Amino acid sequence: MRIRKFSLRFAASILALSGAMAPNAAFAEPDAGEYKIGFISEATGPLAAAGNSYLHGAQLAIEQINAEESAGKGVELELVEKESGSDAARSVQALTQFIADRDVLAVSCCILSPVAGAVKPVAIAQKMPLVLYGATRPGLPELPYVTSIVVLPGPQEVKMTKMLAEKLAPKTVTYFVNADNDGFQGRFKAAQEVMEEAGIKTGGVVSILSADTDFTAPATQAIATNPDLIMVWTTQTPAAGIIAALRARGYEGHISASDVISPAPVFERIGEPLAGIPFPTSFAAEISTSPEAKAFAEAYEAKFNGSPDTYAAQGYTAMRYIAQGLKSLDGEPTREALANAMASIAEITPNVYGGLPMKEGQADVDKALIAAWTKDGKITTWEGN
Amino acid sequence: MQLFVEQLINGWALGSLYALFGIGFGLVFSTLGILNAAHGAYASWAAIVGYYVFQWYGVPFPVAVLCGVFGGGILAILVDQIGFQPLRSRRMGMLGALITSIGFWIILDSLAGSATGHQSLAFPASSYPNAMVQIGPLRVPQMQIIIILSLIICTIAIHLLIQRARIGAAMRAVGWNDVAAAISGVNSRVIILLTAFMAGATSGLAGVLGGIATSNVSYTLGEGLMLKGFAAVVVGGFNDVRGTAVAGIMLGIIEVFVAQYISTAFRDGVTYTLLLAFLIIRPRGLFGSANFSRA
Amino acid sequence: MEALFDFWAAYGSTVTFAMANAFFALSTYAVLSTGVLSFTTVTFAAIGGFLAAQMVGQFGLHVYLAFLIAGIGGGLGAAVVASLFLRLESHWMALASLALVLITRVTALNTPGLTGGVNGLVVPVTISQFELFVLLTVTTLVFYRLHNSWYGLASRAVREDAAVASTMGISPYRIQFTAFLISGAVGGLGGAALAFTLQFISPDTYFIGIAFTMIASTVLGGSFHWFGPIVGALIFTALPAAMQAVVPAVEDVAKGVVLILIMVFLPRGLIDPRAIGLRRAAKRRRDIEHEAEKTHA
Repeated sequence: MRIRKFSLRFAASILALSGAMAPNAAFAEPDAGEYKIGFISEATGPLAAAGNSYLHGAQLAIEQINAEESAGKGVELELVEKESGSDAARSVQALTQFIADRDVLAVSCCILSPVAGAVKPVAIAQKMPLVLYGATRPGLPELPYVTSIVVLPGPQEVKMTKMLAEKLAPKTVTYFVNADNDGFQGRFKAAQEVMEEAGIKTGGVVSILSADTDFTAPATQAIATNPDLIMVWTTQTPAAGIIAALRARGYEGHISASDVISPAPVFERIGEPLAGIPFPTSFAAEISTSPEAKAFAEAYEAKFNGSPDTYAAQGYTAMRYIAQGLKSLDGEPTREALANAMASIAEITPNVYGGLPMKEGQADVDKALIAAWTKDGKITTWEGN
Repeated sequence: MQLFVEQLINGWALGSLYALFGIGFGLVFSTLGILNAAHGAYASWAAIVGYYVFQWYGVPFPVAVLCGVFGGGILAILVDQIGFQPLRSRRMGMLGALITSIGFWIILDSLAGSATGHQSLAFPASSYPNAMVQIGPLRVPQMQIIIILSLIICTIAIHLLIQRARIGAAMRAVGWNDVAAAISGVNSRVIILLTAFMAGATSGLAGVLGGIATSNVSYTLGEGLMLKGFAAVVVGGFNDVRGTAVAGIMLGIIEVFVAQYISTAFRDGVTYTLLLAFLIIRPRGLFGSANFSRA
Repeated sequence: MEALFDFWAAYGSTVTFAMANAFFALSTYAVLSTGVLSFTTVTFAAIGGFLAAQMVGQFGLHVYLAFLIAGIGGGLGAAVVASLFLRLESHWMALASLALVLITRVTALNTPGLTGGVNGLVVPVTISQFELFVLLTVTTLVFYRLHNSWYGLASRAVREDAAVASTMGISPYRIQFTAFLISGAVGGLGGAALAFTLQFISPDTYFIGIAFTMIASTVLGGSFHWFGPIVGALIFTALPAAMQAVVPAVEDVAKGVVLILIMVFLPRGLIDPRAIGLRRAAKRRRDIEHEAEKTHA
């Protein structure tokens, strides 16, 4: 019985391949039926806060895809979650379990680049489409099997830094940076370069570690350099702690940060000291204007009783991307056909970013919003004051 | 110069937290002979209890701290009675207790994660003394003064209790040899409960105060305290709380100065190398007596 | 048959990780069976892992050769550690070894030339499950031989009472030093096995997590027989996967509870030669009584 189904599947996949090459491929539809999408979640462990947002975004996307039948007529997707707690070995085990389940067509995974690095070779060797939803190290995607819907850091930071240099005209800038995170090292260097090109001095560079919690001493160190602007290029927990400590120690000058301070719980935790601090982001529920973004924010609000953050948007996008690839297939979908279909997608639709081009399996968006919290906990566009 | 003094005070306050935590950790190790991997969770949970008591009942700052401290103590007793007591009767030594404590560590951390919704929470700025005190040219946050004073008071109180009071003599007796202590009429069950409570409460105090001062109440809170508190205990010597206090403050100051004047990259390296050097060259620590009491 | 095949495909990697963890558990067992509680296996694993990764990545050596070098590297590291640590009283040694684990991570983070620093290292080669199985079997055979040799007897004597052992002409220092060398070599092999299995290692790969996994595996499985650590590693590695299948909402809590229950009810571990011995003796006694009754009747 199984064998017959298997050979049928094989025949179908050949059909699908030839279908993809046929001129009328645009009218092709995958067979109706239920398919599984694996999701390696990080809802526990050190990154659980962000991990939950990614998961919620993905859950909402699947619900909408099924309701709209946007992965094909009669196509029902099921999101299967396996928890990794941000641990590389557990992620690899989860992936191999997904690979063994023949109904799983694609897997989405990983916030941390080292974890993504460990999962990637397994996905390629076993020919499983893998969409990265959080890891940002350049060079992770590898067509056709490994793709990433996460925008690489760089352009957003440059845009905000130029704006800050112009509007605030600081003479000295002091930087906070993670000594143990290459992503933030890169963002810091990009920002520093822009500042120095504009003739703005570096007052000092204060390094901290991701696991640090006490920032009184680093704050004292930064304030002592007498800067006009302090740029905070660190992961979430330190960034929030640093800003709180700077304000608590009486620093009243300008501060800037990154999108790590955009989720609502960060404002709930730190409160008013966060107000007016600019940060670049590709999505913010309150200020993203595209109809897709508005619809996403509303549906998310209704389902989870809170507005979506940038991580939720990424989880959502990953699922939309997979559905888009699936929709373009013909007949019984296979992993290989799905990977090829996704690899050839040049623009993810629908997306909440007002345009999300894919280049070499890597999301590449150059639109950045410069946002800031207001005193009463809303995100607005930062105007430069 | 002003920066130097300010950083000195920052380091002192930071080190005071390490020492407070370490005193609790050291009490359990020297009196009960347990290397307790779950100890960090007491600090996390104390901070979480304090936070929710404040959120739900809006109690004043000292009451919230006291509730957290009490919570830490009760949790320590629960862990001891559920996990360590069954092993005690079988004389399983340090190893069995270490494994159960790993089990509790996993459970308590996971539950703490659920209790905080996996977020890092913070006491609202209005709920605790968060102003700066002007001392000459220096401005010092009130929380730092509270933390520094807490350590001094706890160290003196616990030192006097252990060295002067009858109950302290009983604790030392149990730590030295519980069978002999029992023969000479010490109720070791009571001593064990009391020690566990004191240890949980002291480390809990470090957790609540640290959670407030750093705006970080989460299940990761205890882990950071655990590693540094452990270092403070070893460098200071296990069976003397004064040693732990001095070593903790010293480690805090060294940590801040290495980050300020050398590099953050070497900060933890310096701490742990110092720790290893002490273990190998002077295992009894700064103030400890010549032999490990439970050998 | 098909179901079995699917099951294997799904949980095969769990078995692979269990085998890698078995090396760590055996490494811990090696010293624990001479009465030394030490977390230094993590350090040996880091040495072995990064060494093997560099040998394959930089110099293009064969995987087998990389394993050999990892084992030797771990052994050399162990020699240094043993000569420093064995002078310490046992409680201090446990703490010192914990401190060494912390230092290992800081060192690995700050030597990016050797370890890739925060970015970690991609390991371009992998090994098959079968190769790993063979390596583990060979290692286990060594432990089996040692267990039944003079060394095994001597190490049990040292564990039970070092003072008595030395009156019988056994030098505890030499036994424990040897134990450290074995622990280092096996730990190095385990580090390399993990590197080739994960195909990506960073300083965080070899940290507290492994320390607690291996010590729990060893004690869980039973630290009085070489088979204990292997059983323990298998159970401890499979536990999260099993808990996820059974009680996904509280898998971590369930894992902790299982650990505590085993410790409280089977404090000597699952594989306990003494319990087996006692059971045999009891059976023999029963049989004899039985016989006696029969003859009586």
